[in-house]
Amino acid sequence: MTGISKRFPGVVANDGVSFEAAPGEVHALLGENGAGKTTLSNILTGLYRPDEGEIELYGESVRFQSPRDALDAGICMVHQHFRLVEPFSVAENVVLGDHRGEGRRFVLRTSATEQRVDELSQRYGLAVNPKAKIWQLSIGEQQRVEILKALYRDARILILDEPTAVLTPQEAEMLFVTLRSMFDEGKTVIFISHKLHEVKAVADRVTVLRGGRTVATVDAGPSTPRSLAALMVGREVDIHRGRMRESAPGEEIVLAVEGVTVPDDRGGNALRDVSLEIRSGEILGVAGVAGNGQRELAEAISGMRAHSTGTVRVGGDRLRPGDPRAAIAARVAHVQEDRLGTGLAPSLSIARNTAFKTYRSPPASRGPFLMLRNMAAAARSLISTYDVKAPGPETPARNLSGGNLQKLVLGREFQGDPRVLVVAQPTRGLDVGAIESVHAYIGGAADRGVAVLLISEDLEEILGLADRVIVLYEGSVAGEVDATSATVAELGFLMAGGKSE
Amino acid sequence: MKLERRLTQPRWLPIAVPVGSLVVAFAIMGVILVLTGRSAWETYWKIVEAGFTGNGALSATLISATPILFTGLAAAAAFRMQLFNIGAEGQLYLGAIGASWIALQLGDRDVTSTPVFVVAMCVAAAVLGAFWALIPGVLRAFARTNEIITSLMLNYVAGLLLTYLIFDSASYWRDTSTLQARSFPQGKPIPEASNWPTFGSSVIVPLGFLIGILAALGLWVLYSRMRFGFEVGVMADSPRAARYAGMRTRRKILAVMALSGAIAGIGGASQIGDFTYTLDGSPTGLQAAAFGYTGIVVAALARYNPVAVCLVAVLIGGLLNAGYTLQGPDFPSGLVGVMQGIILFCALGGELLLRYRLRITRLWPNKPVVEAPS
Amino acid sequence: MSVNDSLIVIVLAQAVLYGTPLLYAALGELLAERSGVLNLGVEGMMLFGAAIGFWITQRVEGSTSVVLFLAVLAAAIAGAAMAAIHAFLVITLRANQIVSGLALTIFAGGLGLSAYVGTELGLADLPATHQFGDLDVLGLGDLPAVGPVLFDQSALVYASWGLTLLVALYLGRTRWGLNVRAVGEAPASADAMGINVTLYRYVHVLVGGAFAGVAGACYSLSITAGWTSGDTLVGGAGWIAIALVIFAFWRAELCLVGAYLFGALSALPFALQAREVDVTPEFLYALPYVMTIVVLVIVSTGLSKRRLGAPAALGVPYVREER
Repeated sequence: MTGISKRFPGVVANDGVSFEAAPGEVHALLGENGAGKTTLSNILTGLYRPDEGEIELYGESVRFQSPRDALDAGICMVHQHFRLVEPFSVAENVVLGDHRGEGRRFVLRTSATEQRVDELSQRYGLAVNPKAKIWQLSIGEQQRVEILKALYRDARILILDEPTAVLTPQEAEMLFVTLRSMFDEGKTVIFISHKLHEVKAVADRVTVLRGGRTVATVDAGPSTPRSLAALMVGREVDIHRGRMRESAPGEEIVLAVEGVTVPDDRGGNALRDVSLEIRSGEILGVAGVAGNGQRELAEAISGMRAHSTGTVRVGGDRLRPGDPRAAIAARVAHVQEDRLGTGLAPSLSIARNTAFKTYRSPPASRGPFLMLRNMAAAARSLISTYDVKAPGPETPARNLSGGNLQKLVLGREFQGDPRVLVVAQPTRGLDVGAIESVHAYIGGAADRGVAVLLISEDLEEILGLADRVIVLYEGSVAGEVDATSATVAELGFLMAGGKSE
Repeated sequence: MKLERRLTQPRWLPIAVPVGSLVVAFAIMGVILVLTGRSAWETYWKIVEAGFTGNGALSATLISATPILFTGLAAAAAFRMQLFNIGAEGQLYLGAIGASWIALQLGDRDVTSTPVFVVAMCVAAAVLGAFWALIPGVLRAFARTNEIITSLMLNYVAGLLLTYLIFDSASYWRDTSTLQARSFPQGKPIPEASNWPTFGSSVIVPLGFLIGILAALGLWVLYSRMRFGFEVGVMADSPRAARYAGMRTRRKILAVMALSGAIAGIGGASQIGDFTYTLDGSPTGLQAAAFGYTGIVVAALARYNPVAVCLVAVLIGGLLNAGYTLQGPDFPSGLVGVMQGIILFCALGGELLLRYRLRITRLWPNKPVVEAPS
Repeated sequence: MSVNDSLIVIVLAQAVLYGTPLLYAALGELLAERSGVLNLGVEGMMLFGAAIGFWITQRVEGSTSVVLFLAVLAAAIAGAAMAAIHAFLVITLRANQIVSGLALTIFAGGLGLSAYVGTELGLADLPATHQFGDLDVLGLGDLPAVGPVLFDQSALVYASWGLTLLVALYLGRTRWGLNVRAVGEAPASADAMGINVTLYRYVHVLVGGAFAGVAGACYSLSITAGWTSGDTLVGGAGWIAIALVIFAFWRAELCLVGAYLFGALSALPFALQAREVDVTPEFLYALPYVMTIVVLVIVSTGLSKRRLGAPAALGVPYVREER
């Protein structure tokens, strides 16, 4: 790919990016969130059309008008958010849209397809039942289906977008084994990631993207995590962030969760008999691979999801399960993972969004009537205090960038003078400046005596901010460690299901 | 050419687009008229005359506009919250049933005060209309059942109920006093004192229309200046955010559906009190008028703004009225529906321009092929 | 059929007669909804198709079979043309599907285009020159019970049976059927797999419109054999067809069962009254609507949604963000 540029309203995602990969190579695309990796791969797979630039495949210039062209050319992608049809079976998903070979038949031959899927899954070590429906499978199994789709089509180039984000370390290992068997066959694997150690472990060469531009293409062997990080961020960076604050928890137990079982969306339980305590001024980190109950824990505490057993107490008072209002009244603040999806209403103005917690009483309202001017004034003060870059209080929330949204939500939550702060993935997708601000706000809250529950996939972040860390594995607490003395390796072990001694 | 989502909306756009789409609609219709051998200008002029400027035209237009003002408000109230209540038709019928019942009952008890009748009829109509709307409302709130189909089905059930009351039963509503009434089923006429007053002399304004305007103002205040409307706005944009903010979505769904049904019901009361003075169950009466569905068209054209609904209701009412008056060889039946349809199509199409911007770019620029580094 | 035939036979035969247009319209709407597009304009499309079909029989000379064939074809094209408006608005212009469908009903319906065309062409009160008669298949029409129901129906009825089978096989067993189901369930996934979402939606909405047109022709060419202005020709069957799709859990075979069930319920009151059984007709007429509500509630509660059929992306415009 040479000189690729792609612009969206308000942002330049790719700016003259050039990158190339050879057959039988595992080539990693490394960069922070927002560096342009996903956009680039979407262009390669025909989902987007570039504003400028050329793509050459095996020496020939190609133009993809749609995903179909890319698929025909042998390029397959496993997206971060799977492109599967849930009510269909594995076999049906694999064969969907295939118009070559077996797929050319007008009438479907289900059993033949299932057989072929079986063969492929045996050959590449991707065990999955071809007749099973997608909604019945685990995330790891669903990812295998995605890879099978590519193998079924004899893909020559396989693109994996942050594949290990949803896998345990063991499953990630299995994936790497599968990948190695693929490049033995001369296939090219393009591996998109922001995790340095993975890239180092699996890739032959690495292209680093930053701010939509190519920074460098280096061989993985001689590079170190530190040199790669430097390229990613643009300066020498101490990748072990170290402690960001002094631990000084108070005496009083502010949040007490006892024996809580929380249902998930599929009819089972996301959390089983979980207990934890947080004191005032203490930060409890929650580590674990996504999907082990973290989101449900946050939702249970903030009342968005009803727990079926156990109690949640704030300052000794029991909160009614599944009642967000009770949590709000108890001054529990919840900063969600998907800011624009759950914490904010995208089309509404900043002024209205900041009034979520305050609109029921003066000054935002008087009786049943809204005091719109007061709401706008409150929004303006929040915008300036938390350094949110926005044209004004009437701007729709969706116009703001990720960092500014996060600051906005944090500002809103802090306005309510919370006693408990539940914050999930606070710095996902933010640039370095915003990350620092957010860490400062969280640390500052703890210093003021707020009990903080910090859920994060970024182990460095947890170890840097938290006092203690618990690890969630399959809905239970796998272990608890002291943040000042724990290592990433220890946490990884617990995250994969190992039991602490 | 490509469509890009807009980041900001220039102030003039929400006015320019609906007006522009109206202009386009009339242009298209003009073409159709000419193609069928008629003069477009003449036809439009006749419509304006029959609907608005002619003798007594405006009064007749208000008669057509009043019911669709109510059903338009009902639709707007619900659609603003992404609750697609298309049951205003049935809710109006239920309102009519309730209003005529209470009018007859009070008449039997020799009540003579018109204000009492008016209030009673409105209340009864609102209650029954709200009840009818709460059926799909409850199903939506508690069983997550799609309210579009349920409210639609209930329209038919309501229509059948109406027919039953007048045609196939010896119900309270049915007039059995004369031989003629017994052979050709019809509803009992409501007492004279319960006939709703009208206002004005050159232009006759039915009481119902004024009640409708009041309802529109009330709805506007409710949705833009009160906490109720704030919550509706959040729920419509992001149900998860609403839950997160502790808003009680289920209660709101019930409240909005009930409100919507009540407004439609009062429209039914107005039909009885203002115009028909009896419950008209015949297939050519209430049931053929399609007030409910036309109301949705009105609401959509008004972009669900209650104040705009008043204006659009009068405009569409004028169009409908002109259609009835002008019907004949020169003005074919069917033109009214065609015109309504085209206006709505253009409005729907114009809607796109409000949310997206049209950009003309060349997708793959003609650059020379660059040698890829080997 | 003689008056001595049992009640059941009469009702069944009537059920098939009145159920056939419902079946055509429902199959059409089924295809559209499977691709994720809700088309509430069925009533309008049926009325327009009825008018155009009848017009062809009046204008074209030829043998009955040929004329009728052309009439049905014309009705299908008419329905598809109406559907095209809706398709353009909701697929390309991403308009609200409910409002657009209602607009189509008003535009094409009894106070709209079909009335316009009908009066312009002077179709009202014309005697039917050609109409579908009952075909006595293999001479079996006189068999007791089964005869009148199965073997003494018009070509439209038999064609509808074939169509039901075709649609069922199409959706369940062919590649294109799999693709369209994917488009309705998860358009983003289908798009990523190289399926042209826009094309599939257009095609299925247009075909749905064609079926609706044929359904309308069932009235003007067979059941009523004539044309009248206004809504009474079709009498709300379009709306019943929409309900029927849901009642049938979005499956073609069940559409057939449901269509005849609903048809029977509309024929039952007359048959019962002829036998002097006192029954409130409105109650029976209301049953299909109430049953549909019940089915809808069942379909929507909880997990059953996944397995019982509502296409997940129904009613939502598909936007491939920032092409």
